[in-house]
Amino acid sequence: MKTVIFIIAVLALFVSSTIISGQVSVQSPGIGTPLGPMIAGTDFSGSWRWLNHQDATLFTAAGDIGDWGGIPLNDAARLYALSWQASRQTVKQQQCMGYAPPYTWMSPGNHRLWEERDPFTQRLLAVHYWGQIAQVNRVVYMDGRPHPPAYAPHTFAGFSTGKYDGHVLAVTTTHIKRGWLRANGAPQSDAATVTEHLIRHGDTITVFAEVEDPVYLSETMTKTSLLSRQAVAPDAWLYACDDSEQIPGRKGDYVPSHFFGQNPFFREYADKNKVPVLAAFGGRETMYPEIYAAVKDTAAAEAAVKAKMAPSGPPQASRAPDPTPNDGNIHVFHVAGNIYMLTGDGANIAVQVGPQGALVVDTGAGKLSDKVVAEIAKISTKPIQFIVNTSFHADHVGGNKKLQAAGADPSLTGSFFSNQFADAGQGATVIGHQNVQTRMEKQSPPMDTPPSDTFIEDRRRKFHNEEPVEIFPMPNAITDGDSVVHFRKSDVIVTGDIFTTTQYPFIDTKNGGSLQGEIQALNFILDRTVYQHDEDGGTYIIPGHGRVTDEWDVAEYRDMLVIIRDRVQSMIKAGATLQQVLAARPTADYDTRFGATTGPWTTNMFVEAVYTSLKK
Amino acid sequence: MNRSLAVVCLLFMATLNAHGQGRGGGRGEAPPTPRAAAPFDMTGYWVSVVNEDWRWRMFPNKGDYAGVPLNPEGRRVADSWDPAKDEAAGEQCKAYGAVGIMRIPGRFHITWQDDQTIKIETDAGRQTRVLRFGAAQGSGADLQGVSKAEWEFPRAGLGFAIAGDRGPAQSGSLKVTTTNLRPGYLRRNGVPYSANARLTEYYDFVKGANGNTYLVLTSTLEDPTYLTQPMITAAHFKKQADAAGWNPTACAVRLERP
Repeated sequence: MKTVIFIIAVLALFVSSTIISGQVSVQSPGIGTPLGPMIAGTDFSGSWRWLNHQDATLFTAAGDIGDWGGIPLNDAARLYALSWQASRQTVKQQQCMGYAPPYTWMSPGNHRLWEERDPFTQRLLAVHYWGQIAQVNRVVYMDGRPHPPAYAPHTFAGFSTGKYDGHVLAVTTTHIKRGWLRANGAPQSDAATVTEHLIRHGDTITVFAEVEDPVYLSETMTKTSLLSRQAVAPDAWLYACDDSEQIPGRKGDYVPSHFFGQNPFFREYADKNKVPVLAAFGGRETMYPEIYAAVKDTAAAEAAVKAKMAPSGPPQASRAPDPTPNDGNIHVFHVAGNIYMLTGDGANIAVQVGPQGALVVDTGAGKLSDKVVAEIAKISTKPIQFIVNTSFHADHVGGNKKLQAAGADPSLTGSFFSNQFADAGQGATVIGHQNVQTRMEKQSPPMDTPPSDTFIEDRRRKFHNEEPVEIFPMPNAITDGDSVVHFRKSDVIVTGDIFTTTQYPFIDTKNGGSLQGEIQALNFILDRTVYQHDEDGGTYIIPGHGRVTDEWDVAEYRDMLVIIRDRVQSMIKAGATLQQVLAARPTADYDTRFGATTGPWTTNMFVEAVYTSLKK
Repeated sequence: MNRSLAVVCLLFMATLNAHGQGRGGGRGEAPPTPRAAAPFDMTGYWVSVVNEDWRWRMFPNKGDYAGVPLNPEGRRVADSWDPAKDEAAGEQCKAYGAVGIMRIPGRFHITWQDDQTIKIETDAGRQTRVLRFGAAQGSGADLQGVSKAEWEFPRAGLGFAIAGDRGPAQSGSLKVTTTNLRPGYLRRNGVPYSANARLTEYYDFVKGANGNTYLVLTSTLEDPTYLTQPMITAAHFKKQADAAGWNPTACAVRLERP
């Protein structure tokens, strides 16, 4: 009886509110049923497939070389695309490359969208997306959470948050890995921000995407993709991909590419489809009707094509934001397992915590050491026991003195060392390659607190904080004293400056560094990494500078260096001088990502280091 | 018994609610005009931003109908297209009809002709589309056909209460249904549509993250004469501050290639 009364009361309230609000029936055919959950038109749940009525030849890894019309590629991106060879996909790390948005929508497999709701309030927490091809797993958070810090790892799916603007779901995605705008060489950088607007009309979703990429686009790229609802959910949702040896015997430093101006296929698409090459080359002008005027003068257009085949103009600096906060504070990021990254004072600092004392890799520039010590104390209940230096460079060892003094090495106290050294165990033990010690001591004035525990050729290994820790010397990479540290249980590798996400490698040829050693070191790291799924996750990497990464970013860095090496090597073989090599800008397609025109490590310095390495 | 009663009540409420949607005026007032009820302002100058179907929109070639679900007859007609015949017959504008014009690169000037009518003028081919709200006012078939316009609003009410995270329902779409078309080409390469074609368009207004304003058009072309299934495509347009770039040109059968 109580229930009946309650229902009648609700009914009366509803009817009266309808009357009071003055709503009358007007002609406005809505989208869907008012009973919900779900307002069709704004609920995207269901199984979908890409509709190929438009861009029919461009799905997934399709698209001809030179088919870049309508993409506002900048000069660096076009050079990247012209340099790209399809056989690059035979390189191990490229074989299971993931799909980045918005390219994801063009994959030909099945797509599924569904909602996650709070079980108690039914508030929308997230919209989930699963794409069969590459098993893309995206979560669009609808709960207002912030995006991760800039020094957090990227994934192919990125980190997405969503917001409804009326019936349009706007999804903002950051932290995306370098992927494809089109899988025919047109790159999307890891600095891109993608905003997708999902619009549903009946059984069709239109995805209107904006790509803002300061590295590779001269203007926001906008495009639509279409999805058609599948009335019956398909069974195929998986995408088995394991990389494998494609060409036995191939060396680890082989990366197929075309030299600038030597891509033999650049005209094929344009000729076959009677498209002016200049238009097919992309660029902001190719998005608008004005392209017709730009290609009208055949001779001028051909000259413009020729000019776009090779670098021109002054060197470009990186347009990717620096992920390091540089705000006078130390920022702590949990990487995996026992491992944290501290950033904000020069080179990145890695900290392993556990039941024993903290093991710290590198100590930063030393300007914020007190804060570093304070932050370590927050994550480790024990004092710093070991410090490992990956290099003698000041931004890696500058905090040695304070961090060493703040720590203690109880493994020495009471050992036979106590008989030899009165201060045994007082302060952390500093470990490093012998050349780190040697070079720190040889500086004028000598640098503080060099490693006291050194090694030369063989790995140092420890079982510390309940996991195996390996310290590998990397001969003649950045210097002649580099090391990488692998925390095997946490599966985190600390690379020092052998790998950074912020600049070309600081190959210090005067102190024993070389390009060849650098590439070997990167390949060594890649031989130890295992991705979790399609080049995402698994082994995490703490670079010397920049954000946390995984295997993919290291492989991309290695590929870049091999490609640049091959270009410079080719010029040297042809008798080019250093000045001629510099003028040719062999790094032009990467400069907007890693280049510098000022500061302590410019692109020209890097090219000179490459040249010097290869001339030896 | 109680459960059944509850279901009946809910259904009743839903019915009431369904009738209570839209942008009606107060009780006893006349409903607002389509112009007054517009959920967004689409007037002004827009430029097509061509990324999707770039090749087919920018530089179409005879026989290149990839993606179009043509039936054998459709393919036969497309393959036998003779531009010279169109020129000789004075049929330069067959690709500039309602089905094709919005995907031809160009600029579009959108205005309210009156409170019931949206007008779209194009610089490419100098065409005018008239989108009328309310009862269709058909006349003889022409390339632009007869276009019936209506606003579609997301529904509020019970569903909205449940799905309240979706944000306010102040937005909506413009739906345009065009019939009574004279046969033409859906691309500038002789890919045909027939007099039986029916074009359904949705125009959605998007505020871009980059500060630009976009109009996103989703089109469905049904043509039992030449298509094996409805053909769905999209296009998008960027709002311009003024008429910059407005360049009226006559219809042309052939693309002037360098």
